[in-house]
Amino acid sequence: MEVVNEHWPRAELDAVQRLRVLAAMIAGAAVTERVIAAPFEEVWGLLTDLEGTFGEIQPDMRHLHVAQRSGDRLVAHVRSRYGMRARFDGVLRPGSCWLQSRFLLVGMAAAGAPGGGTLVALTGGVRVPGRPALVPIGVRREARRSLDRLERLLT
Amino acid sequence: MVDDGAVLLVEAAQRGDVLAMNDLLDLLAPYVGRICGPIALDSGQDATQEALVAVFRALRTLREPGALYGWVRAIAVREAVRIARRESRSAPAELADLPAPGDPQLATDIEDVLARLSPEHRAVLVLRDVEGMDERSAAALLDLPAGTVKSRLHRARDSFRKAWKS
Repeated sequence: MEVVNEHWPRAELDAVQRLRVLAAMIAGAAVTERVIAAPFEEVWGLLTDLEGTFGEIQPDMRHLHVAQRSGDRLVAHVRSRYGMRARFDGVLRPGSCWLQSRFLLVGMAAAGAPGGGTLVALTGGVRVPGRPALVPIGVRREARRSLDRLERLLT
Repeated sequence: MVDDGAVLLVEAAQRGDVLAMNDLLDLLAPYVGRICGPIALDSGQDATQEALVAVFRALRTLREPGALYGWVRAIAVREAVRIARRESRSAPAELADLPAPGDPQLATDIEDVLARLSPEHRAVLVLRDVEGMDERSAAALLDLPAGTVKSRLHRARDSFRKAWKS
C-alpha cells in the first residue's frame, strides 16, 4: 500500500488558503484580500519587517519589538499608539504570519497570484476572551486601510 | 487514534488560541490533502480548502476530540466528492475502459487512470486502500448501500491491483 500511496495525487494549500481556513473557525473574523501589483518577496518583506514597515501598515502595532525568536515562533512586545502595552505570541513563516495577544489578533498571508502580482489576505481584530471569536466591528475597514498603506509604500 | 497532543490542540483552538489552530492545521492539512487529492484531482486544492473550512467552522462544536480523524475524514470525503461532481463535465467512463494490466502508462500516469473513474469510485478506493476502511463503514460514509460499495470496490480495486502489480 505504501508504494501505491506514494503515487496518489496529494493536494496542498498555499498560505492564503490556510488563512481562509483558520479564519473560518473564528466567529466575526473577515478575510480581506487584494492582488498587489508587486513581487511576493517585496510585498512580504514590507509586511513582515515587524520592527519597521509593519507599524506603518498596521498603525495600532507601532513600536513593536521582537523579544524572542525560535524557529518560526516569536514573542513580541508592542506599545500601541494609545500607550497600551501587550505581549504578542506568534508564528512567522514565508507567506504566513499570525500574532495574538490577550486582546488582539493579527493574521497576514501572501501568495503569488495566478495572473501575476501577489495576493495578500488580512484578518484580525479584537478577541473575545475564552472562545474563537472577534468583536465584529470595523474589521474589514481596518484591513482595507492596511492594504491601502501597503500599496502606498510600494509606489 | 488521536494522541493527547492533538486533543490538547483541539481544546486550545476551541478556546480561541489561534496558534493552536495553526498547529492543528499543520496536522490536518496533509491528511485532508491525501483524501481530497485523489478524489477531486484537478480541484484537489479547492476541495482541500473547502473541506478544511468546513472542519474548522464546525470544530467549535466538536464534543469528542478523540474522534477527530474519523470526523475529519467524513467531512473531507463528502466535500471532495461534492466538488469533484460539480467540476466534472463529462460522464465517467466504464471501468472496462481502464488500461489493461501491464500497460506501461499505468506506472507513470495514475492521475489519468483515476480521472477515468467517477468521484464515488475514487472515494471508495481512497477509503479502502488509503484509509483501510471496511466496506460497511465506507458505504455508511458515502451514504451508499453496502452492496453497491462492495461491487464498485471489487471491480475498481481489482483493476488497480492487477495494474499496479504488473
